[in-house]
Amino acid sequence: MKYARSNWTAAATAICVACAGSAWAGKADDTLNAAFTKELENVDSYFNSSREGVVLQRAIWDGLIYRDPATNEYKGNLATSWEWIDDTTLEFKLREGVTFHNGEPFNADDVVYTVNFVADEANGVKTQRNVNWMKSAEKIDEYTVRILLKEPFPAAIEFLSGPVSMYPNEYYAEAGPSGMGLKPVGTGPYKVIDVVPGAHFVLEKNETYHDSPKGQPEIGKVDIRTIPDVNTQIAELFSGSLDLIWQTPADQAEKLATMDQFTVANESTMRIGYLTLDAAGRTGEDNPFTKLKVRQAVAHAIDREALVNALLKGKSQVISTACYPSQFGCDQNVTSYEYDPEKARALLAEAGYPDGFSTDYYAYRDRDYAEAISSFLNAVGIETNFNMLQYSALRELRMKEGSPVSFQTWGSYSINDTSAITSQFFKFGSLDDSRDQEVKDWLDIADSSTDPEVRKEHYSKALKKIADQVYWVPMFSYNTNYVFTKDVDYTPTPDEVLRFTTMRWN
Amino acid sequence: MADMATDPLLADITGPTPGQMLRKRIFGHQGLLIGAVVLGVLVLVAIFAPWLAPHDPYAQSLMARMQPPVFLGGSWEHPLGTDHLGRDYLSRLIYGARVSLLIGTVAALISGVIGTAMGVAAGYFGGRVDAVVTFLINVRLAMPVVLVALAVVAIMGGSLQVVIVVLGLLLWDRFAVVMRSSTLQVRGREYVAAARAVGCSTPRILMSEIMPNIVNNLIVVVTLEMAHAILLEAALSFLGLGVQPPTPSWGLMVSEGKNMMLFEPWMVMIPGVVLFVLVLAINLMGDGLRDVTAPENRS
Repeated sequence: MKYARSNWTAAATAICVACAGSAWAGKADDTLNAAFTKELENVDSYFNSSREGVVLQRAIWDGLIYRDPATNEYKGNLATSWEWIDDTTLEFKLREGVTFHNGEPFNADDVVYTVNFVADEANGVKTQRNVNWMKSAEKIDEYTVRILLKEPFPAAIEFLSGPVSMYPNEYYAEAGPSGMGLKPVGTGPYKVIDVVPGAHFVLEKNETYHDSPKGQPEIGKVDIRTIPDVNTQIAELFSGSLDLIWQTPADQAEKLATMDQFTVANESTMRIGYLTLDAAGRTGEDNPFTKLKVRQAVAHAIDREALVNALLKGKSQVISTACYPSQFGCDQNVTSYEYDPEKARALLAEAGYPDGFSTDYYAYRDRDYAEAISSFLNAVGIETNFNMLQYSALRELRMKEGSPVSFQTWGSYSINDTSAITSQFFKFGSLDDSRDQEVKDWLDIADSSTDPEVRKEHYSKALKKIADQVYWVPMFSYNTNYVFTKDVDYTPTPDEVLRFTTMRWN
Repeated sequence: MADMATDPLLADITGPTPGQMLRKRIFGHQGLLIGAVVLGVLVLVAIFAPWLAPHDPYAQSLMARMQPPVFLGGSWEHPLGTDHLGRDYLSRLIYGARVSLLIGTVAALISGVIGTAMGVAAGYFGGRVDAVVTFLINVRLAMPVVLVALAVVAIMGGSLQVVIVVLGLLLWDRFAVVMRSSTLQVRGREYVAAARAVGCSTPRILMSEIMPNIVNNLIVVVTLEMAHAILLEAALSFLGLGVQPPTPSWGLMVSEGKNMMLFEPWMVMIPGVVLFVLVLAINLMGDGLRDVTAPENRS
């Protein structure tokens, strides 16, 4: 009975918080109150790998380039122009007159310091993939800088417009990642005035923000609190102590949309959900998933339309490729498997499993989706032994011994290029469950060629083979719900980044 | 040989026989009756689940998700509505009774055997045996059950068998404590001394002299621990570490309904109420059995 009591305490606390909260309601004092669901380990964007980190990164810092989320056009941000000198050298002309939040002027030294710091593996940037294609940077003059690549990397511009942001050299040399995490300093549209780990982040409008393609911020202050429980977030939204929540599950968002005082906006994201099957037999030579017919049966067993329409809803779509459709090179013209449980059973029988078989099945998030998928598998005779693990534990298991079948998702860090997903998983890395040499060779060519046509052609070959061989069963793309009060005017973008800069008061 | 009917010693006995008195005590005890009836119904429901459940508890229908129960405007097709995957709530509730009762019974049985053996041995033999058992009890009491269960289940992976064994191995402390002190009370009684005097073996003394006189305490602990195990299973399943989906478990159902608590409170309330009723029934029955079987109430 002990936990019943703690539920009451939690409810009482929620009510108290809600009452206290209404004292600092949004529009009147020009403060937008928002909520994060997950705790952010470090605000320094190079030292976290979470979506919340990306949101703050885009508000606090700027990159050299900016990709307009509406048109996907690259625009200069801290750089005004750029040019490929050769396959591995990019030269930038920097914007003049930009200052960091602490008053430090922005110039070539900052770019050189930032690039050299993050590209050095010894400094331990969390997501090496984002930075390890850069070798170093060199200063040409005060406002001209060159970034040198390790090898030809056509997606460089995309990465420079995304996760690679510029830090102030003098301050960062002194404060380091932990200092930067507590007192972040950037050139972005919002400056940080308070970081209380575990409690909240307070951002304030940068009055002297340069003429950036991100636009000028309008809302004075943004107060972001970490509230892990969705029900608590919704309760605070009701009471007025929150103005905006996001990543709200589809069912709750649907209910909130029927209420007059809230706007529910839905946007697609680059994250896709898929099953990865142990085609290479890493969990055992006689593993059923090494047989093509079994893999095809899995693909036919799952009603992806129903998953999208009933569970994910919103702007989610059925996916048949091992990448997100908007990504460069993501050819949609691949084999697609319709929902046909009869055919799935027939294929299993042909493969030598007329009575089906039993297998371990793993998932790490979205328990309800994972459960629905396992029910589809059970229905055709693939009996699943459901294991829900933490992300890190499942990753570790898959790296060491693989898994027969697991439900995975990948968001590509919002990088609009197939190399951020297909090449990540099909080039014999420790998470590659298929180990197909031909696919790897094609991806190698596509990843390093600077000719877009050659890239497209080889990505297409690789994606077609992945679909024909059913190494993955791609199922759906995710969407994100943004719920905010009628005081807030905001149009979300399809890249799962919350942009405070484009928010306005109604 | 004297005729039974004319034996003056027996002829004097008038009034109810011991059996009649027992029946009177049982039927005169409201708590016991209510508990027994409710528990009996739930046991029958669990046993006959395949015939009682209107639908397959595993059959999902994504197009018919979260339909309200009939008293909130739903249809008789799903009298208690459907869950977040469109599975029939009533059917899952019925099959969930199996999980709860199985876990409660088997876990209480395992811990009962362990705890009773230790407690009776400690109480009867005393001395070093007592010291060792008391030490073990203290060690066990120093471990927070939920934390240990969470840790073990996290390492071993959650499944019905693991949960049963873990709870069985963790909940013996109360059995040992109660059985030890009860044994201490009766071991010095005259009938034990008499049995010893006529040369009964130790196992015989334990089984036919000690046990029958402490079994009423045992029954109370069994029911308490059964209820305890059922609640712990619900808690573990709620935390995602107990019985794994798609197995229907009431704790899991509460956990699955939790996200929609603000909008569809019935998803949490229905399994919650059933869990409450089951635990209450077991406790009522335990209390009643104690009252009925306690020596001081026999006369």
